[in-house]
Amino acid sequence: MLYFSLLIIAASVLSQGEKKQSPHFYTYNYKKSIVHLEKVQDTTLQNSMKRGASLYSDFCMQCHMAEGTGVAGTFPPLAKSDYLTEKTIKSIKAVKYGLQGKIMVNGESYQSAMPKPGLYDDEVADVMNYILNSWGNEHSEIITEEQVSSIEQE
Amino acid sequence: MKNSFFLFFFLFCVLTACGQDADHKKKHDIPITKSDTYGYELVVPDLNIPWGMDFMPDGSFLITEKSGELIRYKNGQKTLIKGAPEVYARGQGGMLDVRLSPNYASDKSLYITYSSTEGDAKGGHTALMKATLEGDQLTNKKVLYKATPNTTKGQHWGSRIVFDNNNHVYFTIGERGERDVNPQDITRDGGKVYRLNLDGSIPKDNPFVDQADAKEAIWSYGHRNPQGMDINANTGDIWVHEHGPRGGDEINLIKKGANYGWPVITYGINYSGTEITDERKKEGMEQPVYYWLPSIAPSGMAFVNGDKYPDLAGNLLVGSLKFQYLEADYLENGKVTKREKLLDGLGRIRDVNEAPDGFIYVSVEGKGIVKLITK
Repeated sequence: MLYFSLLIIAASVLSQGEKKQSPHFYTYNYKKSIVHLEKVQDTTLQNSMKRGASLYSDFCMQCHMAEGTGVAGTFPPLAKSDYLTEKTIKSIKAVKYGLQGKIMVNGESYQSAMPKPGLYDDEVADVMNYILNSWGNEHSEIITEEQVSSIEQE
Repeated sequence: MKNSFFLFFFLFCVLTACGQDADHKKKHDIPITKSDTYGYELVVPDLNIPWGMDFMPDGSFLITEKSGELIRYKNGQKTLIKGAPEVYARGQGGMLDVRLSPNYASDKSLYITYSSTEGDAKGGHTALMKATLEGDQLTNKKVLYKATPNTTKGQHWGSRIVFDNNNHVYFTIGERGERDVNPQDITRDGGKVYRLNLDGSIPKDNPFVDQADAKEAIWSYGHRNPQGMDINANTGDIWVHEHGPRGGDEINLIKKGANYGWPVITYGINYSGTEITDERKKEGMEQPVYYWLPSIAPSGMAFVNGDKYPDLAGNLLVGSLKFQYLEADYLENGKVTKREKLLDGLGRIRDVNEAPDGFIYVSVEGKGIVKLITK
């Protein structure tokens, strides 16, 4: 029992560094003396948004800015964006595949090319949940990895 | 009376302080003026993110698309080169710079930097590949350097390639979004200028070959994300520019083994507006030749060595992604004394190169490659 407890403590301490980076939470199942790792994607909105915030600073912030303001005439805003609320599927598609051509956001036209960010499907879901619920945006329905996987490029 | 004066003074200070911009200001900066001397001609159309380019002996362009294509273009014909390395198109990463070998006439070789997933860990890091160009096919592909460890971060892959006259290849790799872990540590990759022999072996006179656990390919360190590099033909020195955070982009003269300070010293701040460090200078760390406040997001850099643009001869051209112009930095005794914006509003400038014919070619995202023309 003591050895088992020590093993659990050691495993949770060792897993701390991983947890900060990884979008998945790891649960440990012990079968006899063998450790198995299982990926469990956390489905609560709050945790998704937390991961999304970190992805946002890595992949989105340089253009859309820290407060989702964008850059007038060049990169559209995400804060209180009508495109986000009215064209949510198109927005997910943009994050998943990139976006070219002219779009209208809050009455302004934008025509810069958005390169494909190169995110995995679960990351697209996380960053969408963050964007849809930040800076005055509200979207109580959670975007899931499964939903993102089913969205095709066209 | 006195009390209300102090109250008023206090309120005045508080109210005027509240609106202060978080960004640093640069005192006595060289102002930039707009020049209408130069125009452009679109010579390679229909490119998305033309990241790197070089010039073949027959006058063709050799171009990398960030998404992973290596293209040859001549006289309206675009050819996809087969066998290009698979790239990890993640965030700012993908296919980056391309250079013909200095001995291309005999070895028909190219050098390419790109984001690579090679290795066991998930994610990627920057790699340098040498390959032979046979017709429209890359063969004899050899990865000369693969930085480690792989991570899934999308930021700061670098990268530019140059050669000196002593058969060395230099290339840059950004700090991969790990500013507190990579750039100051010479036992780790990322945030460095590297130098190898043309075959990928470590030059015996590299600065850290004697140091335990050091990455021996390192030439200089403490960089953030260098996307411009060229050799000053007058002095033989390597000049590099790099993206700063929010403010603090720099031009640096690269010295063997030197520390360029990131993130211990910087003229910039975090994107969020908070301070990174209150230190701008430090003993043992190099100061830039020039730094930009605010950032211009520099990409692509070329000295004008030839005589096709007499006013620009001996001076530096830098592309601005953010402000969408080509910046001309005039130099006197190694210092920037005048700045001009050329081709203002052209688009996000990604690369700038002087071709063997002496003309300057500029690659523009969402557009293609333009030739700089004197009006």
